[in-house]
Amino acid sequence: MKKWFPALLLLSAFTLSLYVGATQIDNFWSALINPGSNEILWQIRFPRVTAAVIVGAALGVAGLLAQGACNNAVAEPAILGTAAGAAFGAVLAISTGLVEVGTIGAIACGTIGALLTTALTFKLAAIRGALSSFTLIIVGIAISAIFTSFVGIASAMASRADARSISFWSLGSLALITSENLIGIALTTLIGVAIAWRIAPALDRLSLGDATAFHLGVNVARIRLFALIALSILAGGAVSTVGSIAFIGLAAPHIARFIYGPSHRKLVAHSAIIGGLIVVVADTVSRTIAQPNELPIGLATALLGAPVLIALVAFKNNVWRTQ
Amino acid sequence: MITIDEITIVRDGREIIYDYSEQIPAGSITVIIGPNGCGKSTLLAAIAGDIAPDKGTITIDDVHPILTPASSLAAIRAMAVQNQGFTLGFTVRQIVEMGGESTEVLQALGLTEISDRLVTTLSGGEAQRVAIAQAIAQKTPVLLLDEPLAAQDISSRKRIIELLQRLADSGITVVAVAHSTETELTWADKVIKQFH
Repeated sequence: MKKWFPALLLLSAFTLSLYVGATQIDNFWSALINPGSNEILWQIRFPRVTAAVIVGAALGVAGLLAQGACNNAVAEPAILGTAAGAAFGAVLAISTGLVEVGTIGAIACGTIGALLTTALTFKLAAIRGALSSFTLIIVGIAISAIFTSFVGIASAMASRADARSISFWSLGSLALITSENLIGIALTTLIGVAIAWRIAPALDRLSLGDATAFHLGVNVARIRLFALIALSILAGGAVSTVGSIAFIGLAAPHIARFIYGPSHRKLVAHSAIIGGLIVVVADTVSRTIAQPNELPIGLATALLGAPVLIALVAFKNNVWRTQ
Repeated sequence: MITIDEITIVRDGREIIYDYSEQIPAGSITVIIGPNGCGKSTLLAAIAGDIAPDKGTITIDDVHPILTPASSLAAIRAMAVQNQGFTLGFTVRQIVEMGGESTEVLQALGLTEISDRLVTTLSGGEAQRVAIAQAIAQKTPVLLLDEPLAAQDISSRKRIIELLQRLADSGITVVAVAHSTETELTWADKVIKQFH
């Protein structure tokens, strides 16, 4: 039961999220089993809630990869500069007219931005020799701050119409989801999750430190590179589609680890499900709590995820020990 | 046979090991002793392929550890580091099984009773025995152990030494670093004294 509980919860939240909204859907269950029968359900809510699951899964697995590759409990895309890089890549491309908000082009530019900033963080953190977790986090925070400033500058230089979209997107929202970027983000998430699944056993060994992982046959530099690529693809795709949604990358893997233990193969699936669950619930709350206004989704993800994480750390804190 | 041929290792501008040669026979227990900072652990790490000598070569039979991919090297030598840290809450059995089959070695090192405990809750001595068990589980022809007897009580020391002797009798080359005097090392076939 414990194994399937978050998945069942996700299914229930998914259905509830399709049901609630500004407009009441008549004969909901009948419309649900007849695809295309109701425009609001199938053309607005279904893509949006599906995107919420995919974005949550992408950010959850990206966080898992960041924590596993850095062997650090607080690593996540926002801390390593990945999210800021993705935002900068997308905003720069939008403000220069190269791509439009919410297109596959924006996803590609966001992913490239994520990859370059994450690589820069790792490169600068290792400039004085061996890569230390502590240096990685400090450098990541600094890189994140720099690229967040660049996002602000690029936004200010955008046209008035683009600036409105960028502003709405940068606060984190699923309102701009279209079928085109749904396919794009599904693709990047699939690729990222597949890489995460493949390198998961090596991440287990990496938790014992670089030296022991190497003694057990892990090519540490190569695994870190794959993790970096995968987390950039995942976070880049998610951030460039729905903006910066804080906290999922940190909370989802930790909640999954507290429930299912530290094995990364299990955690890939469970971080994805729990990440999806948090974003679906947060999106439902953000678009219904202050109707007709919509809140930035990041507010709801933090309010929902943080108390769960605090409770787990307070009552069951023996699955991650800092040295 | 491990052959160390005129190696020099420089760390932070200091020559830790200078122009050093040694041959370590196969199927034996060799213990490296010496004062703190004399390069015992550095020599072990160089044999393991963790660090490259600045001059000279190290070979395990005909294999150069530093030129061998990690996955191939893991089938030739295993190593237990000193003060193995555990950040994630794997069980003792899960950690040992990252090396290979666990049942036999858990029993031999007296870890069966704690095999379901989380490694994040272990004492220093227990954690060190888990690291040794993991290295032995790899079933490699060469076993490298950094301070395997540190933080162990008398019965655990006896258990570890007996196991190492059985492994050496079966043809495995055991190389360990220890903080012991030469006279205490009756269980070693060869003692290397490192002085800088």
